[in-house]
Formats: sequence, structure tokens, C-alpha cells
Amino acid sequence: MALFGKIYEWFEVRLGVKALVEKQLTGYLLPRNINFWYSMGSILLVILLVQVVTGILLLIYYVPDADKAFQSVNSIMNVVPYGWLFRLIHAIGSNMMVLFLLLHMLSVLFMGSYKSPRELNWLSGFILFNLVLAISLTGYLLPWSQLSFWATTVATNSIGAIPYAGDFLVEFLRGGKLVGPPTLGRFFAVHVALLPLAIAALIGLHLFLLERIGVSTPPFGLSDTKNRWQGNAFRYEAHPDGIPFFPNYLLQDLTSIALYFGLFFAVLSFAPTLFFTRDAFVTANPFQTPAHIKPEWYFLANYQTLKIFPSEFLGLLVQGIAMTLLAILPFLDRGSEKHPLKRPLFLVCASGGIALWIALAIWGHYS
Amino acid sequence: MQETDRRKFLGFAIGGVLVAAAGAITYPLYKYLAPRKREDARQKVVVAETDVPVGGAKFFELEGRTAVLVRKSGGALIALSAVCTHLGCVVQWQQDKEQFLCPCHGGQFTADGTVIAGPPPRPLEIIPFTVSNGSITVG
Repeated sequence: MALFGKIYEWFEVRLGVKALVEKQLTGYLLPRNINFWYSMGSILLVILLVQVVTGILLLIYYVPDADKAFQSVNSIMNVVPYGWLFRLIHAIGSNMMVLFLLLHMLSVLFMGSYKSPRELNWLSGFILFNLVLAISLTGYLLPWSQLSFWATTVATNSIGAIPYAGDFLVEFLRGGKLVGPPTLGRFFAVHVALLPLAIAALIGLHLFLLERIGVSTPPFGLSDTKNRWQGNAFRYEAHPDGIPFFPNYLLQDLTSIALYFGLFFAVLSFAPTLFFTRDAFVTANPFQTPAHIKPEWYFLANYQTLKIFPSEFLGLLVQGIAMTLLAILPFLDRGSEKHPLKRPLFLVCASGGIALWIALAIWGHYS
Repeated sequence: MQETDRRKFLGFAIGGVLVAAAGAITYPLYKYLAPRKREDARQKVVVAETDVPVGGAKFFELEGRTAVLVRKSGGALIALSAVCTHLGCVVQWQQDKEQFLCPCHGGQFTADGTVIAGPPPRPLEIIPFTVSNGSITVG
């Protein structure tokens, strides 16, 4: 133990470990009424870490060449020891990341945590959500299966509805008139290099904002649920009578992460092909369109919206407006009340929006 | 049960679960990364005698490593590992001198694999071979 003491002392005199632990862990106080939903961010960080590690592992055997990509993925699944495990973890993990991002955003919405002064937290989170959708879309093409090929064809095609620039944008995105080997090269570079860097940078900004502004107080279990920020000066939202992050909330984080892994491994063990259709196991054939090609579940509502409007442009416009409204929500919703039950207009809009999104997704799935 | 006993028990239980989880991920990870036996790595290589002229050398791959067949000016055949015993570069045959030269650090070997100059600590490894019906079987 004396050796550990000496090692600790070595670091202590150089880094001030004790003060750092007190500031970031034991003395980092959180609202007394903090709840389970505040651990969504930690779950997402763990998912991202798992995605990065399994992504690097897959890079060892994956070949980003249209002639070899499907075969290399097939080899990862069937020849490389435990390749199937790391590939399934990566594929299921990407779906989980989108699911938990949605839950994280919903909790922020319902608890009014996006309200000033946290507009930038919301915006950076919203951009992160879009980047995760983009990294999921680009990763979807990489196995070069029939599903990858045609889902990417459909997804990239919808951009063509943008007036004037649409055709140019589609061709630029694909690297050609149709999805083909140049698309794979582009999507691979964007998936493994550009987007991970952008996501890491945005997470850094998101955490910096959280640290700088302080953790918001949840509106539940309090009599006064109004936002107390006056807007005249910077104020760190401290919680002097709160609970420490370590050990109290770290335990909640770990419990939530354990529950997440329970769900994750349940899917991995009992429904490993939940996110794959039969076309995911057939190599891409640019001359044969399979019947009923559908995008991933989180794009189904967008897919159905494009179908129900008489013109694709209208469908795209409606989606653009909806996303813009969501992005600038903190600038539109200036009310100080945070409790969802005391915000009837918000409650109706949010519940209606969620119900519409789910209905469109189900409709898209069965259409 | 005392509070401290319960805390200790829970600590051990969580520690145990974490150790089990670490083991459960380490084994597949090791198996995934461990080099696999190459199915195309040849245990034996058959070379036509005409491919190795007098004073010439024929390089090939044997069990995943580079090897060489040399026919000395007297007509004698020899099969050697072509991997330099210094730092693993592949030696080059110098037909005019009937010597091997390792271009990396100037190691020199005779046609029999004996070190004659430079830093290599050992001679080139000799590989057994047989000759029959105009074919040389190495390995």
C-alpha cells in the first residue's frame, strides 16, 4: 500500500488529483430530484464507445471495394472467429444509438431542459442527432448487400426533389448518376473518418456546455417549476443542497448502463437479425431491384411522408420545416414553465408530433 | 446483516460481475485478432528442374515465408530460407558473385547460406528437398 501511496502522491503534487476529484466527482453536486432520464447521456457515451471499438475491429477485415465488400462482410460473419459477434454488436448498436438519442431528446423536451440559457446545448444535441443519422445511413451501404444498395438508392434519390440543385446534389453525393463503386468509396470515407471526427467534436462541445452552464433542475417533485434564469448575466446553475455525482449519481448511471446492456444483449441473443431483412444477405445487384425495399425504422416516417404528398418536393419541404422548427424550439418556446403538465400547448404539440411520427413509421412499414 | 457486510458483499458481487464481463469480452477479442492459419500457405513446393538453371536462383513462398532454390556453378542444388538472420529482410541473389546480399544492412552469405560479411548472426536456414523425374520438391 505504501507504493500506491507514493504513486498517488507523485500524481497529487503534479495534477492536484484530490482537488480535481472533489471538483468533478464528490463535490460535483446535482439536483436533489434528479431522475433516471438524466443518465441517457451516459448510456449514449457508452454506446458510442462500443461503436468506435467494434468499428475499428471491423476495419481490420472489411474491404471497401465494391467487388469485395460483401464477401469481406460475409467472411467476418462466417469465417473470422467471433466476427459475427462484433459485426452484430456494431449493427444493433447503431440502432440503439438512434433509439437512445430519441429518448434523450424526448426527456429534454418534456422536462423543459432545452429552455434558456441552454439553447446551445439543444442545438449541439440536435446537430449530433443528425450526424448520428448520417453515420447510420453511410454505414448502411458498406456491406454492399441488396438491402444496402437499394436503401441507399432510395435515400439519396429523395434529395433530387430539391428544385434546381437536386440532380446535381444527388450525383455529387453518389459520385455518379447511380449508386455504384464511387458511392461506396465516398460513404466509407465519410463513415469511418469525417463523421466520427465531427461527432467527437460536437460531443466535446455538448459536454463543455453542460459543464459551463450546469445541470438543469428537473421539474418533477418541486412546487416551483419555473425557469429562474433572468437572462441578464451569465449564471452557473449550482445545486448547493444537491447530491454528489460520485458515488450517488454514478451508481444511477451504472444501473442505467447495466439495464441498457440487458436490453442490448437480449436483442443480440434472441433477435440478432431484428434489423436485417433477407435482402441484407444477398450481394448487391444493380440490375435487380428487390420488392418492398424499406429504409431503417428511424427513416420510415420520412419515407412515408415522401410517399403521401403529391410531389416529392412538398414532402421534403414539410420534413425540412418540421426539423427546422425542432432545431429552433428553444428560441420559439420562451415560456419559463418547465413542467410538462403545466404546458398544455407544448404537451398537445409534442404528444401529437410523437403519435404522428409513430403512425407514419408504422404506415411506412406496412405500405 | 450488518451494513458493512452487505456493502462488502455487494462490492465483491459487482467486482465479480465486472471480472466475468471482462473475461467474456477478452476471449472473443483475442480470437478475433489472433493471426489465422493461412489456408493458401503451402507446406511443400514443387519446382521444375529447368526453372533453376546453373548459377541461377528461384524464389518462392513456403509456409508463408520466402525461400530460395540455388543451383551452384558445379550443378549442386541447395534450398535455403531467403529471410536474412539479421533483421528479417529478404536476401537477393548475385549471380555474378554466386553470393546472397541482404540490401537492408549489407549482410553477405555464400550460396550455401554461410555468413561472410555484415551483421547477420547466423547462416541462412537450410531447407530439405528431394529431386525426382525433373521436379524438385521443397519442404
